[in-house]
Amino acid sequence: MSLSFNLKKSFNGFTADASLSFADELFVLFGPSGAGKSLILKMISGLITPDEGTVSISGETVFDSRGRVNVPIRERRAGYLFQDYALFPHMTVAGNISYGMSHLERAEVGKRVKELLALMRLGGLEERYPHELSGGQRQRTALARTLAAGPRALLLDEPFSALDYQVREKLRADLCAIHRHYPITTVMVTHDLEEAFMLAERIGVINNGAIEQVGTREEVFYMPATRNVARFVGVKNIFDGVVTARSSQGITIHCPELGAIHAPMQPLQGARPKTQFDVGSDVTFCIRPEEVLIIRPDRPISGKAEENIIEAVITSAAARGATQTLFLDIGRGRASLKVELPNFVVRKLGLAAGRRIRVSLKKESLWVIPHPAPSTTFHY
Amino acid sequence: MELSPLYLTIKVSITATFFTAAIGLVVALLMARKDFPGKTLLDIVIMQPLVIPPTVLGYYILTVFGKSGPLGRFIEDTLGLDIVFTWKGAVVAAFISSFPLFVKPARASIESVGKDLENAARLLGKTELEVLNTITLPLAWRGIAAGTVMAFARATGEFGATLMVAGNIPGLTQTLPIAIYDAVSAGDNHTANVLVAIITVFSLAVLLVAARFLKGKL
Repeated sequence: MSLSFNLKKSFNGFTADASLSFADELFVLFGPSGAGKSLILKMISGLITPDEGTVSISGETVFDSRGRVNVPIRERRAGYLFQDYALFPHMTVAGNISYGMSHLERAEVGKRVKELLALMRLGGLEERYPHELSGGQRQRTALARTLAAGPRALLLDEPFSALDYQVREKLRADLCAIHRHYPITTVMVTHDLEEAFMLAERIGVINNGAIEQVGTREEVFYMPATRNVARFVGVKNIFDGVVTARSSQGITIHCPELGAIHAPMQPLQGARPKTQFDVGSDVTFCIRPEEVLIIRPDRPISGKAEENIIEAVITSAAARGATQTLFLDIGRGRASLKVELPNFVVRKLGLAAGRRIRVSLKKESLWVIPHPAPSTTFHY
Repeated sequence: MELSPLYLTIKVSITATFFTAAIGLVVALLMARKDFPGKTLLDIVIMQPLVIPPTVLGYYILTVFGKSGPLGRFIEDTLGLDIVFTWKGAVVAAFISSFPLFVKPARASIESVGKDLENAARLLGKTELEVLNTITLPLAWRGIAAGTVMAFARATGEFGATLMVAGNIPGLTQTLPIAIYDAVSAGDNHTANVLVAIITVFSLAVLLVAARFLKGKL
């Protein structure tokens, strides 16, 4: 089974234009609110009609604007989990789950409802009504109801957003288990970075209606294809510059805020097509806040940290649980840098506001994005 | 005392309510779920009987359903039915004046059934008719029931338009409200008192039932 689409839809000045194809995987569509994530799921399922394009589920074309194919929602067999679950309030848990199985024989329905109740840890709740359930139980009932109908694909619209933290953790694990049990194409939409990384086999990053990157979680995390993707995955330190020199060792970028920065040609072994950084071309480079090295004055600088050393002053610190984010000022307001360090390091080094320190933007930790970014629409 | 006005009122009201609920349900569904050109205009036309004087309404009905009216001639030719100055005329008057009282709560209750619930049913493979029968109507029944009760109550109390269309023929078209008017005009206070008491008690009971439907206590 598989799923693929190529869709276009415009309204109120917003345009969504995206195409993707999926195998029987757990794919996460990640992006900020209003990026068009839910819209895409709704177009796949038939809840919203695209302006143009195609949708195919398990090899069957269910929508084709040119061929005038528009299979009704009920015949698409696309399992859809609504953000607020849309459980039928006048039916019990068992009634909800069996609702989509009316084509089956009674004994078979009973058997499958039992199976799903067990799989979803809903045993004993079959006679309850939705308003008598907790948030997590409601979500699992909705998922069971969707799976019961024998969907060819599973579309999950922010399935965990209405739940509190602990419940969410447990249900994410459940979802992985369910995906192993029902290995059908599953597309989940979320704006939660942590969730995307915990669940995804592959991630698609969507912004303003367009897919900006598709890749494994490592690729998206460490090798963002665009400035926006870098921003969404929490890279935080993003700068622009011009390539001034190129050698087999890497490239030198002149950055107005930071001066000369040395960056590798291909910092990580990625599947990304080889990019040439010609001298004189504009680039964006970035470094994750946890990759910035603090240089200890009492120790000699180790080999790898020798390059890209920058003087900075700590302006403030923000606690983030087990770590702290230090805000650094470079050249009196010329630029700022965010550094994330474990609390014990901050304590040990006495890193407080006002301290003057030196940091290294280690060459291997830098990621360079060429300008203009490669085509913003990916066709995989 | 002559009780034929009571029987006639019941007969007229039940018939009118039947048509109101059957046609009104289709209209309420359309108004709640579909967008079509002229929707606002249709809404205004349906709600008219609530605001225009019953005599004006009666005049319209006479014009349209009378023997020389477009619809009246058609009905007479095809179905052989006389509307004006028969009990059927009273049914038409009751139907039109009670229609908005049904459509309003019915439409509101259908609108309050989340579209996601209906979509969820479609996604689970249900046809439009199945969605209507298993999701929309079961969840909207309170408003529909309340509307039916209100329409029935309005039908029993219809006076002005009925008088214009059906007239005041004792035993044939004289409904309860008209009989009360007749009795008071003739100085027959005893009959008037009894009929007024019947209608008052009935109206209170109906409103009580309707309120219970809407509040969900029944």
